[in-house]
Amino acid sequence: MKSLGWRALLVATCLVLIEAAVTAHPMTGKNATFVQGIQGPAVGPFLYLGAKHMVTGYDHLAFLVGVIFFLYRLRDVLLYVSLFTLGHSITLLVGVIGRVGVNPYLVDTIIGLSVVYKAFENMGGFERLLLIRPSTRIAVLVFGLFHGFGLASKLQEFELSPTGLIANILSFNVGVEIGQGLALSAVLVALGAWRSRSSFLRHAFATNALLMTVGFVLAGHQAVGYFLAGP
Amino acid sequence: MAQSASSPSRLRIVKATALALLVAAVLLVTAILPAEYGVDPLRTGRFLGLLALADAGPRAITPRDERYRSDTREFVLGPYEFVEYKYRMEQGGGMLYSWQATSSVISDFHSEPDGAAPGYAESFDKREGSQAHGVYQAPFPGVHGWYWENPALRDVRIRLHTSGFYSAAKEYTGGNIIDHAISDEQ
Repeated sequence: MKSLGWRALLVATCLVLIEAAVTAHPMTGKNATFVQGIQGPAVGPFLYLGAKHMVTGYDHLAFLVGVIFFLYRLRDVLLYVSLFTLGHSITLLVGVIGRVGVNPYLVDTIIGLSVVYKAFENMGGFERLLLIRPSTRIAVLVFGLFHGFGLASKLQEFELSPTGLIANILSFNVGVEIGQGLALSAVLVALGAWRSRSSFLRHAFATNALLMTVGFVLAGHQAVGYFLAGP
Repeated sequence: MAQSASSPSRLRIVKATALALLVAAVLLVTAILPAEYGVDPLRTGRFLGLLALADAGPRAITPRDERYRSDTREFVLGPYEFVEYKYRMEQGGGMLYSWQATSSVISDFHSEPDGAAPGYAESFDKREGSQAHGVYQAPFPGVHGWYWENPALRDVRIRLHTSGFYSAAKEYTGGNIIDHAISDEQ
């Protein structure tokens, strides 16, 4: 049973990589005009854009809320967030530097499903319903890889100047981590305050069901976009 | 109560998952798809007035009712002289421009919004060089155009050609304002 879940994830990974190999899907973005005018390294603007994307990108935030929902010890929080960071940094760098054209709709659909997955896990779905226990660490790492492709596709909306490309991607990446740190701190404070009350466990299930709804909405929105836009 | 959170029954998990999927589907079909993509299977987007949102966005073509103009003008600037040449344009009015100078000049494309304090201008393109070409779309109604300055000791000849949606041309030199007829040559 356990290997079945992983096979599904593996298939999804392969699908995205195949998609990545055959499609290039440029989009127009809000900050595109500014970024396209940049020649050479621009650490500040890319730091800001990375942080802004993370703080305002509720898909990444929803996933992180799911990940740390039941993590009570700071050590665990750091471990899982590091795994997520490792995952998304790899694909962000590889995606942009290697000019991997991932379809943003497809990768954002999977990011939405990652929220569903995490919420389902928090609701005890895997253990009690499917009677499997997929590794939570590997799941965070693998979904981190998909989130990184999502970040890469956002950066690829811009026609990036090749001069200073590496410095700019790294700045964007560091900005993402800063934004993630800021958002996580806020979530941790809120969760910490809530956990001290008895209502936390009473509403934990419902909260994760709500998180799952958000995930389904995100995934559905992007999946329909994928079919409307065509590959 | 803690018990129910840590080990919910299988039925409860199935129900919650189904409900999450149902709520998401309803939100998507009734509001999100109509507003984001103009896909409106239940006509709820039309009812809620959401379809207009799907149409908004950058447009490749913006038809204008104004008269289409074109203009060519030449200026000769002596050592350290400057000139300003500007058009009256309405908001959203577009213009193609191209200018060339016989040697390097300092230029500044800037615009004065209607009703702004005297002397106030927004600068859009400052450069030093002997040519520039591009597209300008007026972000507000007002007068829009160039300042050129000859930074050297020899004379420089600047030739400007534009076409688009403007209604009047003015030249500013050392306190004088000259109204020019737009040439509208073919």
